[in-house]
Amino acid sequence: MKNDFYPWGGEFTVCSSNSCIAVVLLQIDYTPPKDVAVFGQVKTENIGIEKIVANVISNPNIRYLLVCGDDIRGHLPGSTLVALHKYGIDKENRVINAPGAIPYIENLGVEAVKRFRKQVEILDLMGVRKNEKIDEVVRDCIKKSPPSFGSPYIAIKIVAKHGWAVTDDKRVLHSKIVIDYMGKIKGRGC
Amino acid sequence: MFFKGEPKLDEGKEQLEKMLTLSRLTGNPAIPDFFIRKESYIEKIVDFIESTLPKKHPFSIDITVPSIKIKTLWYLHKKDILFRTIYNSIHIGVTEEERKALKNYTPAAAIVVAFNPKDNSPDGKIEVLENSAHLLDKGLLAIADEVGIKNVLVDTAALAPGENSGASVAAIPVIKEEYGLPAGCAIHNVVEKSAWLKNFDSAAKVVDASSNINIPLFGGDYAIFGPAENAGLVFPIIAWEDILISEYTENYFGTKPRENHPRRKFFK
Repeated sequence: MKNDFYPWGGEFTVCSSNSCIAVVLLQIDYTPPKDVAVFGQVKTENIGIEKIVANVISNPNIRYLLVCGDDIRGHLPGSTLVALHKYGIDKENRVINAPGAIPYIENLGVEAVKRFRKQVEILDLMGVRKNEKIDEVVRDCIKKSPPSFGSPYIAIKIVAKHGWAVTDDKRVLHSKIVIDYMGKIKGRGC
Repeated sequence: MFFKGEPKLDEGKEQLEKMLTLSRLTGNPAIPDFFIRKESYIEKIVDFIESTLPKKHPFSIDITVPSIKIKTLWYLHKKDILFRTIYNSIHIGVTEEERKALKNYTPAAAIVVAFNPKDNSPDGKIEVLENSAHLLDKGLLAIADEVGIKNVLVDTAALAPGENSGASVAAIPVIKEEYGLPAGCAIHNVVEKSAWLKNFDSAAKVVDASSNINIPLFGGDYAIFGPAENAGLVFPIIAWEDILISEYTENYFGTKPRENHPRRKFFK
Protein backbone atom coordinates (compact mmCIF):
# COMPACT_ATOMS: atom_id res chain seq x y z
CA MET A 1 0.00 0.00 0.00
CA LYS A 2 0.98 3.65 -0.45
CA ASN A 3 -0.27 6.86 1.09
CA ASP A 4 0.88 10.45 1.44
CA PHE A 5 2.96 9.75 4.50
CA TYR A 6 4.55 6.58 3.15
CA PRO A 7 5.17 7.06 -0.60
CA TRP A 8 7.42 4.02 -1.01
CA GLY A 9 4.62 1.65 -0.09
CA GLY A 10 5.00 -1.85 1.27
CA GLU A 11 3.11 -4.26 3.48
CA PHE A 12 2.25 -2.27 6.57
CA THR A 13 -0.66 -0.98 8.59
CA VAL A 14 -1.11 2.75 9.06
CA CYS A 15 -2.52 3.77 12.43
CA SER A 16 -1.99 7.25 13.87
CA SER A 17 0.24 9.30 11.57
CA ASN A 18 0.94 11.87 14.29
CA SER A 19 2.44 9.23 16.54
CA CYS A 20 6.16 9.26 17.34
CA ILE A 21 6.76 5.52 17.02
CA ALA A 22 6.77 2.93 14.25
CA VAL A 23 7.10 -0.81 14.84
CA VAL A 24 9.00 -3.34 12.74
CA LEU A 25 7.87 -6.95 13.18
CA LEU A 26 10.07 -9.99 12.64
CA GLN A 27 8.37 -13.39 12.73
CA ILE A 28 6.21 -12.37 15.66
CA ASP A 29 2.51 -12.67 16.38
CA TYR A 30 2.04 -9.22 17.83
CA THR A 31 -0.25 -6.32 17.01
CA PRO A 32 0.97 -3.01 18.43
CA PRO A 33 -1.44 -0.53 20.03
CA LYS A 34 -3.41 1.62 17.59
CA ASP A 35 -1.59 4.78 18.66
CA VAL A 36 1.65 3.83 16.89
CA ALA A 37 2.21 5.60 13.55
CA VAL A 38 2.63 2.50 11.43
CA PHE A 39 3.67 -1.13 11.81
CA GLY A 40 4.60 -3.94 9.48
CA GLN A 41 6.91 -6.84 8.80
CA VAL A 42 10.34 -6.82 7.21
CA LYS A 43 11.72 -9.88 5.45
CA THR A 44 14.70 -8.75 3.41
CA GLU A 45 17.93 -7.05 4.39
CA ASN A 46 18.01 -4.83 1.30
CA ILE A 47 14.76 -3.83 -0.43
CA GLY A 48 12.74 -4.26 2.77
CA ILE A 49 15.03 -1.99 4.75
CA GLU A 50 15.10 0.60 1.97
CA LYS A 51 11.32 0.84 2.20
CA ILE A 52 11.42 1.24 5.97
CA VAL A 53 14.00 4.02 5.72
CA ALA A 54 12.19 5.87 2.92
CA ASN A 55 8.79 5.58 4.59
CA VAL A 56 10.04 6.56 8.03
CA ILE A 57 11.81 9.74 6.89
CA SER A 58 8.75 10.83 4.94
CA ASN A 59 6.88 11.08 8.23
CA PRO A 60 8.91 13.43 10.49
CA ASN A 61 6.65 12.64 13.44
CA ILE A 62 8.28 9.22 13.76
CA ARG A 63 11.15 9.52 16.22
CA TYR A 64 11.35 5.95 17.48
CA LEU A 65 11.61 2.76 15.49
CA LEU A 66 10.96 -0.33 17.56
CA VAL A 67 12.25 -3.64 16.17
CA CYS A 68 10.80 -6.78 17.73
CA GLY A 69 10.46 -10.53 17.17
CA ASP A 70 13.02 -13.07 16.05
CA ASP A 71 15.42 -12.12 13.31
CA ILE A 72 15.21 -14.15 10.11
CA ARG A 73 18.10 -16.59 9.78
CA GLY A 74 20.63 -15.85 7.08
CA HIS A 75 19.02 -12.64 5.89
CA LEU A 76 18.92 -11.00 9.33
CA PRO A 77 16.96 -7.90 8.31
CA GLY A 78 16.43 -6.86 11.94
CA SER A 79 20.12 -6.86 12.81
CA THR A 80 20.90 -5.21 9.48
CA LEU A 81 18.46 -2.41 10.26
CA VAL A 82 20.09 -1.90 13.65
CA ALA A 83 23.55 -1.88 12.01
CA LEU A 84 22.40 0.61 9.38
CA HIS A 85 21.26 2.99 12.07
CA LYS A 86 24.41 2.53 14.12
CA TYR A 87 27.07 2.58 11.39
CA GLY A 88 25.51 3.70 8.08
CA ILE A 89 26.71 2.46 4.68
CA ASP A 90 30.15 2.25 3.07
CA LYS A 91 31.25 3.43 -0.38
CA GLU A 92 29.89 0.25 -1.95
CA ASN A 93 26.49 0.95 -0.34
CA ARG A 94 26.93 -2.04 1.95
CA VAL A 95 25.56 -1.62 5.46
CA ILE A 96 28.63 -1.40 7.69
CA ASN A 97 29.02 -4.37 10.06
CA ALA A 98 25.76 -5.88 8.86
CA PRO A 99 25.47 -9.60 9.45
CA GLY A 100 22.83 -10.28 6.75
CA ALA A 101 23.49 -12.08 3.46
CA ILE A 102 22.99 -9.20 0.99
CA PRO A 103 22.86 -6.01 3.06
CA TYR A 104 23.00 -3.37 0.32
CA ILE A 105 21.14 -0.06 0.18
CA GLU A 106 21.21 0.64 -3.54
CA ASN A 107 18.04 2.58 -4.26
CA LEU A 108 18.36 5.31 -1.63
CA GLY A 109 20.81 8.19 -1.53
CA VAL A 110 23.36 8.68 1.25
CA GLU A 111 21.46 11.78 2.41
CA ALA A 112 18.32 9.71 3.01
CA VAL A 113 20.29 7.27 5.16
CA LYS A 114 21.86 10.14 7.11
CA ARG A 115 18.45 11.65 7.71
CA PHE A 116 17.10 8.29 8.93
CA ARG A 117 19.97 7.90 11.38
CA LYS A 118 19.36 11.39 12.76
CA GLN A 119 15.57 11.31 12.80
CA VAL A 120 14.91 8.13 14.74
CA GLU A 121 16.17 6.27 17.75
CA ILE A 122 16.14 2.49 17.34
CA LEU A 123 14.65 0.39 20.10
CA ASP A 124 16.04 -3.10 19.67
CA LEU A 125 13.61 -5.53 21.31
CA MET A 126 14.53 -8.55 19.22
CA GLY A 127 14.24 -11.70 21.29
CA VAL A 128 11.79 -10.20 23.79
CA ARG A 129 9.10 -12.85 24.22
CA LYS A 130 6.44 -10.97 26.17
CA ASN A 131 4.12 -8.79 24.11
CA GLU A 132 3.23 -6.84 27.28
CA LYS A 133 6.87 -5.76 27.55
CA ILE A 134 6.78 -4.43 23.96
CA ASP A 135 3.49 -2.64 24.72
CA GLU A 136 5.13 -1.04 27.72
CA VAL A 137 8.03 0.33 25.65
CA VAL A 138 5.60 1.66 23.03
CA ARG A 139 3.58 3.43 25.72
CA ASP A 140 6.72 4.94 27.28
CA CYS A 141 7.78 6.38 23.92
CA ILE A 142 4.36 7.87 23.29
CA LYS A 143 4.39 9.45 26.75
CA LYS A 144 7.69 11.17 25.96
CA SER A 145 5.98 12.89 23.03
CA PRO A 146 9.12 14.16 21.26
CA PRO A 147 8.74 17.00 18.75
CA SER A 148 8.50 16.39 15.02
CA PHE A 149 11.87 16.23 13.22
CA GLY A 150 10.72 18.99 10.85
CA SER A 151 9.89 18.68 7.20
CA PRO A 152 9.20 15.35 5.53
CA TYR A 153 12.07 13.93 3.48
CA ILE A 154 10.72 12.39 0.31
CA ALA A 155 13.42 10.05 -0.92
CA ILE A 156 13.78 9.65 -4.67
CA LYS A 157 14.36 6.11 -5.86
CA ILE A 158 17.75 5.90 -7.57
CA VAL A 159 17.55 4.54 -11.10
CA ALA A 160 20.37 2.14 -11.88
CA LYS A 161 22.81 2.88 -14.67
CA HIS A 162 24.32 -0.14 -16.32
CA GLY A 163 28.08 -0.45 -16.39
CA TRP A 164 27.96 -2.36 -19.69
CA ALA A 165 26.67 -1.82 -23.17
CA VAL A 166 24.13 -4.04 -24.87
CA THR A 167 25.73 -5.32 -28.03
CA ASP A 168 24.13 -8.70 -28.35
CA ASP A 169 21.15 -8.66 -30.71
CA LYS A 170 19.49 -11.58 -28.96
CA ARG A 171 19.46 -9.89 -25.58
CA VAL A 172 18.31 -6.63 -27.11
CA LEU A 173 15.13 -8.37 -28.23
CA HIS A 174 14.14 -8.85 -24.62
CA SER A 175 15.77 -5.86 -23.01
CA LYS A 176 13.93 -2.75 -22.04
CA ILE A 177 12.54 -0.89 -25.03
CA VAL A 178 12.09 2.88 -24.73
CA ILE A 179 9.33 4.28 -26.89
CA ASP A 180 8.73 8.00 -27.51
CA TYR A 181 5.34 9.69 -27.38
CA MET A 182 4.76 8.96 -31.05
CA GLY A 183 5.23 5.25 -30.43
CA LYS A 184 8.63 5.10 -32.13
CA ILE A 185 11.42 3.06 -30.58
CA LYS A 186 14.03 5.43 -29.15
CA GLY A 187 16.37 2.86 -27.71
CA ARG A 188 16.81 -0.67 -26.51
CA GLY A 189 18.60 -2.05 -23.51
CA CYS A 190 18.72 1.32 -21.78
CA MET B 1 11.42 -29.21 2.25
CA PHE B 2 11.24 -26.88 5.17
CA PHE B 3 11.40 -28.49 8.56
CA LYS B 4 9.87 -26.14 11.07
CA GLY B 5 11.68 -26.70 14.35
CA GLU B 6 13.16 -30.16 14.91
CA PRO B 7 13.07 -32.02 11.54
CA LYS B 8 10.18 -34.50 11.42
CA LEU B 9 11.79 -37.11 9.22
CA ASP B 10 8.86 -39.52 9.07
CA GLU B 11 6.66 -36.83 7.59
CA GLY B 12 9.51 -35.82 5.30
CA LYS B 13 9.88 -39.40 4.05
CA GLU B 14 6.17 -39.61 3.27
CA GLN B 15 6.27 -36.33 1.33
CA LEU B 16 9.36 -37.41 -0.58
CA GLU B 17 7.79 -40.71 -1.61
CA LYS B 18 4.65 -38.92 -2.70
CA MET B 19 6.63 -36.47 -4.81
CA LEU B 20 8.70 -39.20 -6.47
CA THR B 21 5.50 -41.11 -7.28
CA LEU B 22 3.98 -38.00 -8.85
CA SER B 23 7.19 -37.55 -10.80
CA ARG B 24 6.93 -41.10 -12.18
CA LEU B 25 3.24 -40.66 -13.02
CA THR B 26 3.62 -37.35 -14.84
CA GLY B 27 7.07 -37.85 -16.32
CA ASN B 28 8.42 -34.63 -14.84
CA PRO B 29 11.73 -35.07 -13.00
CA ALA B 30 11.70 -34.09 -9.32
CA ILE B 31 14.60 -32.91 -7.22
CA PRO B 32 13.95 -32.42 -3.50
CA ASP B 33 15.39 -29.30 -1.89
CA PHE B 34 16.28 -29.43 1.80
CA PHE B 35 16.36 -26.30 3.90
CA ILE B 36 18.89 -26.57 6.72
CA ARG B 37 18.07 -24.05 9.38
CA LYS B 38 20.57 -24.88 12.11
CA GLU B 39 24.03 -26.36 12.37
CA SER B 40 22.70 -29.08 14.66
CA TYR B 41 20.40 -30.30 11.86
CA ILE B 42 23.14 -30.82 9.25
CA GLU B 43 23.97 -34.46 10.03
CA LYS B 44 20.37 -35.40 10.68
CA ILE B 45 19.13 -34.04 7.34
CA VAL B 46 22.08 -35.21 5.24
CA ASP B 47 21.87 -38.71 6.75
CA PHE B 48 18.15 -38.67 5.99
CA ILE B 49 18.85 -37.74 2.36
CA GLU B 50 21.43 -40.51 2.05
CA SER B 51 19.19 -43.17 3.53
CA THR B 52 15.88 -42.13 1.92
CA LEU B 53 16.53 -40.93 -1.61
CA PRO B 54 17.32 -43.46 -4.34
CA LYS B 55 21.08 -43.82 -4.87
CA LYS B 56 22.43 -41.27 -7.37
CA HIS B 57 19.21 -39.22 -7.19
CA PRO B 58 20.11 -35.51 -7.16
CA PHE B 59 19.03 -33.18 -4.36
CA SER B 60 19.66 -29.60 -3.39
CA ILE B 61 20.57 -28.05 -0.09
CA ASP B 62 19.10 -24.66 0.70
CA ILE B 63 20.98 -22.77 3.39
CA THR B 64 21.11 -19.07 4.16
CA VAL B 65 23.84 -18.88 6.81
CA PRO B 66 27.38 -19.03 5.29
CA SER B 67 28.91 -20.92 8.24
CA ILE B 68 26.23 -23.64 8.00
CA LYS B 69 26.75 -23.81 4.23
CA ILE B 70 30.47 -24.45 4.76
CA LYS B 71 29.93 -27.13 7.40
CA THR B 72 27.31 -28.85 5.26
CA LEU B 73 29.68 -28.95 2.26
CA TRP B 74 32.26 -30.66 4.43
CA TYR B 75 29.74 -33.21 5.68
CA LEU B 76 28.46 -33.93 2.16
CA HIS B 77 32.09 -34.49 1.14
CA LYS B 78 32.59 -36.85 4.08
CA LYS B 79 29.50 -38.79 3.03
CA ASP B 80 30.76 -38.80 -0.56
CA ILE B 81 27.53 -37.45 -2.03
CA LEU B 82 28.73 -34.13 -3.43
CA PHE B 83 28.46 -35.70 -6.90
CA ARG B 84 24.66 -35.47 -6.65
CA THR B 85 24.43 -32.23 -4.68
CA ILE B 86 22.99 -28.99 -6.04
CA TYR B 87 24.22 -26.08 -3.97
CA ASN B 88 21.42 -23.60 -3.27
CA SER B 89 22.86 -21.04 -3.70
CA ILE B 90 25.59 -18.69 -4.88
CA HIS B 91 24.48 -15.05 -4.75
CA ILE B 92 26.08 -11.66 -4.26
CA GLY B 93 26.30 -12.31 -0.53
CA VAL B 94 28.79 -15.14 -1.12
CA THR B 95 31.68 -14.88 1.35
CA GLU B 96 35.40 -15.52 0.84
CA GLU B 97 35.23 -18.48 3.25
CA GLU B 98 32.31 -19.93 1.31
CA ARG B 99 34.23 -19.62 -1.95
CA LYS B 100 37.19 -21.44 -0.40
CA ALA B 101 34.91 -24.20 0.91
CA LEU B 102 33.28 -24.57 -2.52
CA LYS B 103 36.73 -24.95 -4.06
CA ASN B 104 37.69 -27.65 -1.59
CA TYR B 105 34.36 -29.47 -1.55
CA THR B 106 32.80 -28.82 -4.93
CA PRO B 107 29.20 -29.89 -5.47
CA ALA B 108 28.03 -31.22 -8.84
CA ALA B 109 25.89 -28.16 -9.52
CA ALA B 110 24.91 -24.82 -8.08
CA ILE B 111 21.96 -22.51 -8.31
CA VAL B 112 23.22 -19.01 -9.09
CA VAL B 113 20.76 -16.35 -7.98
CA ALA B 114 20.55 -13.34 -10.29
CA PHE B 115 19.36 -10.94 -7.60
CA ASN B 116 20.62 -7.42 -8.19
CA PRO B 117 19.76 -4.97 -5.39
CA LYS B 118 20.50 -2.07 -7.77
CA ASP B 119 18.28 -3.13 -10.64
CA ASN B 120 15.46 -5.67 -10.60
CA SER B 121 14.92 -5.70 -14.39
CA PRO B 122 16.03 -8.59 -16.64
CA ASP B 123 19.02 -6.45 -17.66
CA GLY B 124 19.92 -5.97 -14.01
CA LYS B 125 19.84 -9.73 -13.54
CA ILE B 126 22.22 -10.16 -16.47
CA GLU B 127 24.47 -7.52 -14.94
CA VAL B 128 24.80 -9.41 -11.67
CA LEU B 129 25.71 -12.60 -13.54
CA GLU B 130 28.25 -10.66 -15.63
CA ASN B 131 29.93 -8.43 -13.05
CA SER B 132 28.04 -8.79 -9.75
CA ALA B 133 26.86 -5.21 -10.35
CA HIS B 134 30.40 -4.36 -9.13
CA LEU B 135 29.55 -5.45 -5.60
CA LEU B 136 32.07 -8.32 -5.75
CA ASP B 137 35.41 -8.72 -7.51
CA LYS B 138 33.82 -10.61 -10.41
CA GLY B 139 30.50 -11.77 -11.81
CA LEU B 140 28.56 -14.60 -10.24
CA LEU B 141 29.06 -16.90 -13.23
CA ALA B 142 32.82 -16.29 -13.07
CA ILE B 143 32.76 -17.09 -9.35
CA ALA B 144 30.90 -20.35 -9.99
CA ASP B 145 33.46 -21.21 -12.64
CA GLU B 146 36.41 -20.24 -10.43
CA VAL B 147 35.31 -22.58 -7.61
CA GLY B 148 34.89 -25.43 -10.09
CA ILE B 149 31.12 -25.68 -10.49
CA LYS B 150 30.48 -27.57 -13.72
CA ASN B 151 26.71 -27.21 -13.87
CA VAL B 152 24.95 -23.93 -13.25
CA LEU B 153 21.22 -23.40 -12.84
CA VAL B 154 20.28 -19.73 -12.95
CA ASP B 155 17.59 -18.59 -10.54
CA THR B 156 16.06 -15.39 -11.90
CA ALA B 157 15.19 -14.15 -8.38
CA ALA B 158 11.45 -13.67 -8.01
CA LEU B 159 10.71 -10.52 -6.02
CA ALA B 160 7.56 -9.24 -4.34
CA PRO B 161 4.74 -7.57 -6.25
CA GLY B 162 5.70 -3.91 -6.60
CA GLU B 163 9.36 -4.89 -7.05
CA ASN B 164 9.07 -5.89 -10.69
CA SER B 165 7.92 -9.40 -9.82
CA GLY B 166 7.28 -10.11 -13.53
CA ALA B 167 10.97 -9.62 -14.32
CA SER B 168 11.72 -13.05 -12.85
CA VAL B 169 9.83 -14.77 -15.67
CA ALA B 170 10.72 -12.16 -18.31
CA ALA B 171 14.40 -12.79 -17.54
CA ILE B 172 14.14 -16.52 -18.28
CA PRO B 173 14.32 -16.30 -22.11
CA VAL B 174 16.88 -13.48 -21.85
CA ILE B 175 19.25 -15.54 -19.74
CA LYS B 176 18.71 -18.71 -21.74
CA GLU B 177 19.49 -16.94 -24.99
CA GLU B 178 22.45 -15.09 -23.57
CA TYR B 179 24.18 -18.00 -21.82
CA GLY B 180 22.40 -21.17 -22.87
CA LEU B 181 22.09 -22.03 -19.20
CA PRO B 182 19.03 -23.65 -17.63
CA ALA B 183 16.92 -21.04 -15.88
CA GLY B 184 13.99 -21.03 -13.51
CA CYS B 185 12.88 -19.45 -10.26
CA ALA B 186 10.74 -19.75 -7.14
CA ILE B 187 7.76 -17.88 -8.57
CA HIS B 188 5.53 -19.11 -5.74
CA ASN B 189 7.37 -16.70 -3.44
CA VAL B 190 5.62 -13.87 -5.29
CA VAL B 191 2.30 -15.41 -4.29
CA GLU B 192 3.41 -15.68 -0.67
CA LYS B 193 4.20 -11.97 -0.75
CA SER B 194 0.81 -11.03 -2.22
CA ALA B 195 -0.82 -10.02 1.05
CA TRP B 196 -4.10 -9.10 -0.67
CA LEU B 197 -4.66 -12.78 -1.51
CA LYS B 198 -5.31 -13.45 2.17
CA ASN B 199 -8.76 -11.95 1.57
CA PHE B 200 -9.54 -14.87 -0.74
CA ASP B 201 -9.14 -17.91 1.48
CA SER B 202 -9.90 -20.64 -1.00
CA ALA B 203 -7.78 -19.12 -3.78
CA ALA B 204 -4.42 -18.73 -2.09
CA LYS B 205 -3.26 -22.34 -2.40
CA VAL B 206 -4.50 -22.70 -5.98
CA VAL B 207 -2.78 -19.49 -7.04
CA ASP B 208 0.40 -20.59 -5.27
CA ALA B 209 0.50 -23.93 -7.10
CA SER B 210 -0.61 -22.60 -10.48
CA SER B 211 1.86 -19.69 -10.43
CA ASN B 212 4.44 -22.29 -11.45
CA ILE B 213 3.04 -22.57 -15.00
CA ASN B 214 4.61 -19.20 -15.75
CA ILE B 215 8.02 -20.84 -15.73
CA PRO B 216 7.49 -23.38 -18.56
CA LEU B 217 5.37 -20.81 -20.38
CA PHE B 218 8.41 -18.52 -20.57
CA GLY B 219 10.68 -21.40 -21.53
CA GLY B 220 12.05 -22.07 -18.05
CA ASP B 221 13.66 -25.37 -17.15
CA TYR B 222 12.81 -25.78 -13.50
CA ALA B 223 10.33 -24.49 -10.94
CA ILE B 224 11.23 -24.23 -7.28
CA PHE B 225 7.93 -24.82 -5.54
CA GLY B 226 6.90 -25.21 -1.96
CA PRO B 227 5.87 -26.34 0.51
CA ALA B 228 6.39 -30.02 -0.39
CA GLU B 229 2.76 -30.83 0.41
CA ASN B 230 1.77 -28.78 -2.69
CA ALA B 231 3.35 -31.45 -4.92
CA GLY B 232 -0.08 -33.04 -5.47
CA LEU B 233 -1.22 -29.85 -7.19
CA VAL B 234 2.02 -28.67 -8.78
CA PHE B 235 2.96 -31.83 -10.70
CA PRO B 236 -0.35 -32.22 -12.58
CA ILE B 237 -0.46 -28.46 -13.27
CA ILE B 238 3.05 -28.47 -14.76
CA ALA B 239 2.30 -31.65 -16.74
CA TRP B 240 -0.82 -30.00 -18.14
CA GLU B 241 1.17 -26.93 -19.14
CA ASP B 242 3.92 -29.07 -20.67
CA ILE B 243 1.36 -30.83 -22.88
CA LEU B 244 -0.03 -27.49 -24.01
CA ILE B 245 3.42 -26.14 -24.88
CA SER B 246 4.55 -29.37 -26.48
CA GLU B 247 1.61 -29.47 -28.87
CA TYR B 248 2.37 -25.93 -29.95
CA THR B 249 6.12 -26.32 -30.26
CA GLU B 250 5.82 -29.53 -32.25
CA ASN B 251 3.32 -27.95 -34.59
CA TYR B 252 5.35 -24.76 -35.01
CA PHE B 253 8.98 -25.85 -34.65
CA GLY B 254 8.76 -29.59 -35.14
CA THR B 255 10.17 -30.26 -31.65
CA LYS B 256 9.16 -33.74 -30.57
CA PRO B 257 8.70 -34.50 -26.87
CA ARG B 258 11.01 -37.03 -25.30
CA GLU B 259 9.75 -40.45 -24.30
CA ASN B 260 8.81 -39.69 -20.69
CA HIS B 261 7.31 -36.26 -21.44
CA PRO B 262 3.82 -35.83 -19.93
CA ARG B 263 2.38 -35.69 -23.44
CA ARG B 264 3.76 -39.15 -24.17
CA LYS B 265 2.61 -40.42 -20.76
CA PHE B 266 -1.00 -39.36 -21.24
CA PHE B 267 -1.46 -39.42 -25.04
CA LYS B 268 0.25 -42.55 -26.28
